[in-house]
Amino acid sequence: MKKYAYFLLAALVVLAMPLTMQSGSLASEVLIFALAAMGCNLLLGFTGLLSFGQGIFFALGSYTAALMLTRWPVPMPLALLLATAMGALGAAVVGWVAIRQRGTYFVMLTLAFSQMFYFIAYTATGLTGGDNGLMDIPRPNLSVLGVELWALASPWQLYGFIAAIFLLVFWLLLKVSRSTFGRTLLAVRDNEERAAAIGYNLKLLKLQAFVISGAVTGLAGALHAMMTGLAPLSNAEYHTSEMILVMTVIGGTGNLLASLLGSAFYLLLADWLSQLWPRWLLLLGLALMAVSLWMQRGLWGLGDSILQKLQGRRAPAATVDAKGEQA
Amino acid sequence: MNIYLLQVINGVGIGMLYFLLAVGLSIVFGLLRFVNFAHGAFYLLGAYFCYQMTRWGMSFWLALVVVPLAVGGIGWATEKLILRHVYATDHEFHILVTVGLALVVQELVILQWGPLGDSVAVPDALQGVVIWGNFVYPKYRLFVIGLTAVLAVLLWWVLEGTRLGSAVRAGSESTEMVSLLGINVLRIFSLVFGLGAATAALAGVLASPIRGAEPFMGVEALAVAFVVVVVGGMGSFSGALLGGLMIGIVQSVMSTLWPEGARLMIYVAMAAVLLLRPHGLLGRKE
Repeated sequence: MKKYAYFLLAALVVLAMPLTMQSGSLASEVLIFALAAMGCNLLLGFTGLLSFGQGIFFALGSYTAALMLTRWPVPMPLALLLATAMGALGAAVVGWVAIRQRGTYFVMLTLAFSQMFYFIAYTATGLTGGDNGLMDIPRPNLSVLGVELWALASPWQLYGFIAAIFLLVFWLLLKVSRSTFGRTLLAVRDNEERAAAIGYNLKLLKLQAFVISGAVTGLAGALHAMMTGLAPLSNAEYHTSEMILVMTVIGGTGNLLASLLGSAFYLLLADWLSQLWPRWLLLLGLALMAVSLWMQRGLWGLGDSILQKLQGRRAPAATVDAKGEQA
Repeated sequence: MNIYLLQVINGVGIGMLYFLLAVGLSIVFGLLRFVNFAHGAFYLLGAYFCYQMTRWGMSFWLALVVVPLAVGGIGWATEKLILRHVYATDHEFHILVTVGLALVVQELVILQWGPLGDSVAVPDALQGVVIWGNFVYPKYRLFVIGLTAVLAVLLWWVLEGTRLGSAVRAGSESTEMVSLLGINVLRIFSLVFGLGAATAALAGVLASPIRGAEPFMGVEALAVAFVVVVVGGMGSFSGALLGGLMIGIVQSVMSTLWPEGARLMIYVAMAAVLLLRPHGLLGRKE
């Protein structure tokens, strides 16, 4: 039972959102950015790589899906798959250069590449629409061989489709994180020298993690383009990478479910606060500083320690591994 | 006059500003071993403080002295009050705390001065152009090149010729050793962080009459500063100078050849340098 606990909890959240939320688009957005945050978490929480380049893969996914659905008549599922592949390809290229460096150098490189990609997207107006982005992206229903399986016209219908994809990816990432590969990534995160001494190929492992992360983020970008009907240049901005990273960190690293929590927290708070005060990002900046200073395991870690306190026993997870247990 | 020569001189001016922007980031990294993502925010504050002072009718020259001191003080206090408490944690949290700080500063700037940018007037004494034969060039830009060159020499002297400089250089090699010698390393950390913030603010003040002040210039400056230190080599003074000049000249010359792609080319130049020399032009392998 414990093996499936996280998956069941994720499914529960996915089922609870239609019952508690007014807006189907907001609920869909929560799941889309939860996908992106999980991709980021795989790097930060499981491999110890802080990437400011997640916006690249998100934008690549949204541009690819937009181009496929508007210019070439490919079936919608294929467009999503191609967007996923483009995210993976982008991550392979960025990763190949960036993982030659370690620590802070790596972080700076991912940010520099994300700026580079922004200017590429800005310059390549023929493909990306430049400053205007791509507009009027259709949202075809899901059909196989002419048989319509799933209508996607209303926000809640689309939510159902995205929820199915989300749960599938969540399941797959859970599998990955519990596989030998996932465990090896943790070894890399905790002590690179030791992992290298044991004989693991660090560069290959990091590159693989990067490619998986890019694929998931690309898929999220494609779903976002389908939901909004737009693939704007702002997806490639620093702000997108930063947002994905902030969701991941506030939710808590090293646990996939925490990314769903982080995405929901960020977007619901944004939705509520941005109506009250346009400068709500100020509070977010303060929250990020607070998490870095006092709450390094994020909201998930906070909930975890409260739960431990309530149960009246010492927190074994907190003493053995301060960075949080893995999902 | 030859357009390319003109663009190279422009590039030297931009490059010297980039150097000033990046050198603080590089020195702070060398000593404290962490990348300050709020570095662009200090540049932003520099530009806006200068804008505000000139709007109040104060002279640009006063701003040139007061603003770096004020922002340097803010940097100094930031290190003492906030950053000091994350040194013991993983490097991700060093970065995230400064990312949060940069966001707070940017939003405060928008709150105070609005989301749209504004221009800053070139000081009266530097209006117009100089004419030597067929060489015609804006006075202000020549002033920027001259002043940043003087500042570069001054900074070099501080690092190479003073006790503080020796402590900084020794601290970059081994912080532990320096503190064993009886030097208060934490005091040096705050001082150097303040110095880094002050140089970034100075770059902001000098850039504001050229490009105005707008709330998102901090993020842009941060990315450029990263490119400069990655190209030049992290923690290296001469690397920041060489990287700054190279990036400035590439951007300036490309803006004649391919205006839409000029900003893209600085990142292409960075990627090219990295493929040939992974630790930057003058960087050392860690």
